[in-house]
Amino acid sequence: MITDDSGLKELRSSVREFMEAKSPEEAVRKLMESEPRFDPEVWAQASDQLRLPGLAIPEEYGGDGFGLVELGVVLEEMGRALFCAPFFSTVLLAAQALLASGDRDACARHLPGIAAGRTTATLAVAEDDGSWDPALITVRARSDGDGGWRLTGRKCFVIDGTTADLVLVVARTVAGPSLFAVDRSATGLSAEPLPTLDATRAMARLTFDAVPAVLVGTDGAGGRVMARVLDMASVGLAAEQAGGARRCLEMSAEYARTRHQFGRPIGSFQAVKHKCADMLVQVELAEAASREAALLAAEGSADFPVASAVAHAICSKAYMVAAMENIQVHGGIGFTWEHPAHLYFRRAKSSQLLFGGPAIYHERLLDRLGI
Amino acid sequence: MTSDDPQDFAAEARRFLDTHARKAPDRATVAWGEGDDSMAYFSSLPPEEEAEHVRRARAWQRVRHENGFGWITGPPEYGGRGLTPVHELLYASVESEYDVPDTGVLGVVGLGMIGPTILAHAQPHIKERWLPAMYRGDAIACQLFSEPGAGSDLASVATRAVREGEEWVLNGQKVWTSVAHHSQIGLALTRTNPDAPKHRGITAFLVPMDAPGVEVRPLRQMTGGTDFNEVFLTDVRIPDDHRLGEVDGGWTVALTTLMNERDTVGSEGAGPVAAALSPDHLSALMRATWTWDDRALRARLAELLVDAMATRYLNTRAQRTLRAGTAPGPERSVAKLMYGQNLTRAAHFVSECLGPRIIADTGRWGTYSWAELLLATPALRILGGTEEIMKNILAERVLGLPKEARA
Repeated sequence: MITDDSGLKELRSSVREFMEAKSPEEAVRKLMESEPRFDPEVWAQASDQLRLPGLAIPEEYGGDGFGLVELGVVLEEMGRALFCAPFFSTVLLAAQALLASGDRDACARHLPGIAAGRTTATLAVAEDDGSWDPALITVRARSDGDGGWRLTGRKCFVIDGTTADLVLVVARTVAGPSLFAVDRSATGLSAEPLPTLDATRAMARLTFDAVPAVLVGTDGAGGRVMARVLDMASVGLAAEQAGGARRCLEMSAEYARTRHQFGRPIGSFQAVKHKCADMLVQVELAEAASREAALLAAEGSADFPVASAVAHAICSKAYMVAAMENIQVHGGIGFTWEHPAHLYFRRAKSSQLLFGGPAIYHERLLDRLGI
Repeated sequence: MTSDDPQDFAAEARRFLDTHARKAPDRATVAWGEGDDSMAYFSSLPPEEEAEHVRRARAWQRVRHENGFGWITGPPEYGGRGLTPVHELLYASVESEYDVPDTGVLGVVGLGMIGPTILAHAQPHIKERWLPAMYRGDAIACQLFSEPGAGSDLASVATRAVREGEEWVLNGQKVWTSVAHHSQIGLALTRTNPDAPKHRGITAFLVPMDAPGVEVRPLRQMTGGTDFNEVFLTDVRIPDDHRLGEVDGGWTVALTTLMNERDTVGSEGAGPVAAALSPDHLSALMRATWTWDDRALRARLAELLVDAMATRYLNTRAQRTLRAGTAPGPERSVAKLMYGQNLTRAAHFVSECLGPRIIADTGRWGTYSWAELLLATPALRILGGTEEIMKNILAERVLGLPKEARA
């Protein structure tokens, strides 16, 4: 772990510099309307120059062996820049699922490619209703009698699902939900891109028609893997949200300082000033909760699952508040297509609901607290 | 043996506390229906019990002082230990594991805010006179700042101080003065130049509370108790050597005091009130009131706990920053703002779980007692700077938004 602040600061400034150079607003807008939704050249640079995909992958699998604290710094910066890349799907979903499975062979097979940036990957859990409840998994896995498996059914909301080289799938066997690895080019797998509220994060529907698959980890252990991935990915998402919320706050404060009406900067009116202060409060809480949760993960603390649920909830709310109020502070200009405020609004709403939304994450917190 | 090394220091604190105090019972476990169910945020003790409370506070502070823990960050020449805020935090965290008398009556205003102000601005013989006495538990100090006409706009204080030779004569009225009725000294902001711009005509004085002309009248707050006072100053004569800072330079002195305002309001809130934000306690309450499966209440509980726990993480991180030797950012101001809101929401959440049992005392354990907290919560969004003023400060100092036109 990079324990000293200066190490983390260095990491942050190099990632920010990269984002400013490679993911300015024009680049984001261009990629939003392209297929794939990311620039393979920039992805290769992020992998080769900054070694970002391998940052939190254990050294034995070709990564640099850091954890959520360092990933959090990177994700805050990516969230701030609305960076379009298969980072979240590959590193927070797929790699975490492989690690959580405890399947050393699968890890050794897939993680080095992920760490090097050669392989992109994703995790397909939710189906048509978007739920992450293991009990609602309907995609079936049947043994082909030869040690292999065949998957049949449909997955939805799969992030980067049309481009990922490796698709990890939670499917149901007689033993219950289980994790499987499927190759992008497997016969019987088709992927269809979905129109998305947030165009900076691509999603797809995957249809499985007796697709050959390899069991990852223990048959029937998929529910446990999902819970672990959800805890880890929620904190990653929270960092992205905190970074995006901070950017919204900065845009609002800058505008409130410089935009004049009635002969004064609008930030001198208490109604606007207090709105900005409310945003600041949310952003401070969001950063504290996501960073603290990351630290507890790195320490292997028993408090981590609770902290993860808190971070997911507060960061979802903070980002939504910041993105909404940012538009309000800007007035009419904030409602235009040309202004970036709506890009953050779209990302904020889509992140808030990605794993089910408030009703789900509130119950998840109470469940983690034993209430 | 003593040492500055944090680990040695913590071990020394533990040895001291093992000798002089008992370990506190485990507060994490909830024994519903057992023990004291008081939810008092402010004191609600009858006078003779309150006097005993103050006596115990003074006595414990003296024991701390005699063992080198009375003023951990203070300079040795005035009875301090000469260590860092990190050591102070460390001691507080170790002491919280023990069952010791509450010293808030000395600590919150006097030792936390007035002491550092005297240290920064008083003449050496005044420091010698008061600082050791304060940190030994002998002298309690209060803050004679707010007035009926100077609340949020503190710089408009109107209490006059007029120079007569080597003395100053003070006349005016102060208000919301916590612990004045127990205090030996007060730090007063007075108007010495009515013609100067308001921030530049203020002078600060140390006022011995037994000086002729000082009259303390208790104020009864909406909880029914009396925690703070009005203080009337009528022809009170103060020697010039009791002045802090320059003549007309009192605003600088006031800022020292306000900057030393500890995050007592933003911190977890020791004692019974901590139950209001404890997941275990609130969950026990929901079971006891048969509301645990009410979906609307569960959602509200979750929202409340998310904010309360995020606020706790904010405090944790501010302490970590301090320990790393970096100045914290706006975390403590944000935490104070959130704490007032969290406790307010908690009190209302609990009241809705309890229903009519909080509007009339049925004698059942842990029900009507919450009324005390409910009635105390409006103060948490006012004291130490109203929510509105806190937001102005955050927006102006942290975000750099322009100030409003001010008179």
